[in-house]
Amino acid sequence: MIDLPGVLADVGRGMIPARIYNDAEIFALERDRLFSSAWIFLAHESEIPSPGDYVVRRVLADSFIVVRDENGTVRALFNMCLHKGMAVCRAEMGNASHFRCPYHAWTYRNDGRLAGVPFHAEAYGGDDGFAREDQSLLPAPAIDTYNGLIFVSLNADPPALREWLGDFCYYLDFYTRQSPAGVQLRGPQRWRIKANWKIGAENFAGDSYHTPHTHASVVDIGLSREPKANKRKEGALYMAGPGSGTTCKLPPGGSFLEQLRYVGYPDEMIVTMAATWSKDQAGLVEESGFMVSAATLFPNLSFVHNWPVIDAAGTVAPFISVRQWQPVSENETEVLSWFAVDAGASEHFKRQSYRAYLMCFGSSGMFEQDDVENWVSITEMAAGSMARRLLLNSRMGLTSEDKPVKPPMAGFSGPGVAYQGFGEFNQRHWLSQWSEHLGARDEATSL
Amino acid sequence: MKPLPYSDELHQAAHQFLVEEAALLDAGDYLGWLGLLCEDIKYVMPVRVTTARGAGFDSLPDMGHFDEDMYSLLKRVQRLLTEHAWAEDPPSRTRHFVSNVRTFAFSETELYVESALLLFRSRGDTREADLVCAGRTDLLRLTTEGMRLARREIKVDESVLRTQNLAAFL
Ligand code: FES
Ligand SMILES: [Fe+2]
Repeated sequence: MIDLPGVLADVGRGMIPARIYNDAEIFALERDRLFSSAWIFLAHESEIPSPGDYVVRRVLADSFIVVRDENGTVRALFNMCLHKGMAVCRAEMGNASHFRCPYHAWTYRNDGRLAGVPFHAEAYGGDDGFAREDQSLLPAPAIDTYNGLIFVSLNADPPALREWLGDFCYYLDFYTRQSPAGVQLRGPQRWRIKANWKIGAENFAGDSYHTPHTHASVVDIGLSREPKANKRKEGALYMAGPGSGTTCKLPPGGSFLEQLRYVGYPDEMIVTMAATWSKDQAGLVEESGFMVSAATLFPNLSFVHNWPVIDAAGTVAPFISVRQWQPVSENETEVLSWFAVDAGASEHFKRQSYRAYLMCFGSSGMFEQDDVENWVSITEMAAGSMARRLLLNSRMGLTSEDKPVKPPMAGFSGPGVAYQGFGEFNQRHWLSQWSEHLGARDEATSL
Repeated sequence: MKPLPYSDELHQAAHQFLVEEAALLDAGDYLGWLGLLCEDIKYVMPVRVTTARGAGFDSLPDMGHFDEDMYSLLKRVQRLLTEHAWAEDPPSRTRHFVSNVRTFAFSETELYVESALLLFRSRGDTREADLVCAGRTDLLRLTTEGMRLARREIKVDESVLRTQNLAAFL
């Protein structure tokens, strides 16, 4: 048996028991105490634009049909037939007015309501034996959206999504609301890696420290300027609500226009951004001089924004990726990686941004390749008995008295707390939320 | 269109081209491999998806694992040749199996070639090896320097890849 209070106490002082990155008991706790209650991302509205459009997505072992019904309402329906439990939808995407179960042909409307039961009169004696009214595929206990991002919670009474996102919305908008048209997601690429799901989430939350070394090769080949050590160590790390992220320091003194030109946005998009973002949001770029880079929204949704050189002529094009670390087991994760782009951008920009994304992130991305190699290795190392004796030092940025080595930034435009330079504040922030969930005994799951 | 008979010299040359290409990749001779590509190379690998039989599509129209031209392939190769490409250091042991080759005469100077590819990739000493299975449709161009690859579409047979990354060429 794992000594959970001991593990959480160690995590609380920034000394992370190595075993949490590959441990079946911890994984069971994560399932029962974290994924059973947190808001979990499933899909984006742009993936299902028309009535009947659906994608099938999971929260751990639970499969949901995320569908836009005939009235345009987005629903997340548990993909298990009410009769004997067959998956009513076995495709991963498509368009359907109805879902018919392959086993005995119970048929459901795309809002989940049961529409047809074969031989209803003969087999059940009609409504007397089985009343079809009010029968529906089980909806996710809670569903809500922000900027088109669809989240569900397996807890029927979660905090309101917007309230829970809190100050992280300020940062989320840089990735998902560059114009009133909103963001459009393409993909995802999906692949499975032999790594614990927490490692990627923590990495995107705040690990600017790995960038100069892990991603040295992309600087070597002239693909990207930003992993360079000096760029990263001047970047700001921020924590806001359930999220946190990294930023890159922009060249000094640039105007809003100049800074966004530097990262490759065309003028017409910059004008729209200026009109869409609040004055405070624009201030992150102009007054504070930072551009958002990687971020994680607890627990397993991450974002990245980068701006590589995409052709021999030296064209710089920015891209955004939204990605999810979908746990499969304590030592396996399915990565879902979407290319995200402002829906209002020109086709030319979308094309360039897409190329930038493919070169850097996703299944073949030159950044992502080296990240995953590290994470698989950590997971492998964490499996054995020696790992149970090892506490990993995640105290970067703290003195022996638990004081920050440097004070938080004063006058940072964004909400939350920000530190300039390297530090593991964000990873600890992520882990403290993780600890809160694991430490809370959920009555409903009666462990 | 009917495939060329196996006895056709063009078919044999195309088949040999694919086998030689695989040999370069398995030997890690990526610069040699780039030499087999036309300057205007298009190298794409759409994301495959599981859809109902009647859906009319089984890959994403606007998302791939690769969508490359000479610049991006050159960058990928240059990266693998740096001292910092950890994803392939130590290198994977790979074997590209090429089979089911069918050659179609397209024009005087171009051939369409379909092939099946099975990539075996072993990393480290004890990890389970990865397999990537795909069908490929190539456009081979007959140039004064010999045969060159002008287009490649890789139709991967899995929706969810079971390899940790595509730090390999298919
Ligand atoms: S299990 Fe679905 S109709 Fe019987
Ligand atoms: Fe990274």
